[in-house]
Amino acid sequence: MTDSLRAAAGRKVVSRASADTLGAVSHLVVDAKARRIQAVVVGKGRKARLVEWEHLAGFGPDAVMVTDESALREPADDRDRAAADGKLELVGKRALNELGTELGTVDDVLFDPEAGALEQLTVGGRAVPATALIGSGSYAVVLASDDPAGAPAPTSVTG
Amino acid sequence: MTTAQIRGLPVVTVLGGDDVAEVRDVIYSPAHGAVMALTLNRRGFLAGRRKELLPSSSVHAIGQHAVMVMDEQALMPRDEARADVAGAGGDRDVLGNDVLTERGVSLGVVRDLVVLAGTSGAVVGYQVSKPGGGEAFIPLPAQLSVSGKALVVPDLTEEFVRDDLVGLGAAVDEFRGRLGLR
Repeated sequence: MTDSLRAAAGRKVVSRASADTLGAVSHLVVDAKARRIQAVVVGKGRKARLVEWEHLAGFGPDAVMVTDESALREPADDRDRAAADGKLELVGKRALNELGTELGTVDDVLFDPEAGALEQLTVGGRAVPATALIGSGSYAVVLASDDPAGAPAPTSVTG
Repeated sequence: MTTAQIRGLPVVTVLGGDDVAEVRDVIYSPAHGAVMALTLNRRGFLAGRRKELLPSSSVHAIGQHAVMVMDEQALMPRDEARADVAGAGGDRDVLGNDVLTERGVSLGVVRDLVVLAGTSGAVVGYQVSKPGGGEAFIPLPAQLSVSGKALVVPDLTEEFVRDDLVGLGAAVDEFRGRLGLR
């Protein structure tokens, strides 16, 4: 089964204990190094709270389940606050290859909702395997160069 | 790419995806045929000078849209950078120089450097103002001697004068290949 960051935005977050809706998914935070979903940001702005992926009870197609409301926590450090502010959101972010060429913006990211592992990125209308993801931050998503050698060995002055 | 295109580019970390600085100027060594370092400004509205230098040895790649470094550790305090990198010479020692072939034909006056995109700063050509007016691009041999006022290039260079950067890209490899065969 496959889910996507774009499809997950807006999905309700429900407590398994009380069946209450606790909020809606604002976006998902990605660990670029591990190439997996790290956390879910619930709500927006100053009310935003986070749930670590490991603390989810289930990531379903209609609702994201948590055991109870205590699974949601306030942003604790700079990275949490950047995530809560939406600065780390992948969808809509500029994508650069490691040679410093812009590839377009990230349209969507596919992931496995069971394991949280990233599968594929769509960048500028083109499918890119998640294994190409090197880094992700406030300015850009960095992808490995298409060059099979993997090293900067270009032949074009302009490229 | 010309250095005019490199100035103002964001410096972005490969591992972090953050813009940690932007390029202020390019320090070039004609003897090495390469950019030695980049000087930096801060990012953002209150942009001022950053004290650190970015030595080319720490550059992952200079690209069309960003200068890539692995992480922020690539930015070095000036006094830690090697003396020849930290020198204030900049690229001004070749800008304005007349380019002469070995048989004494002027190809123009150097206006800018052409850096090979995707490298850490290999300089492969010069942008020149032609003696008759107009701009052109000439390829450079791997090494070059420079007097400070003029620079002398092989006669073969005349055949490889190009009107645009795209043409120069192809010309550089062939030019250097033919120089190597002589």
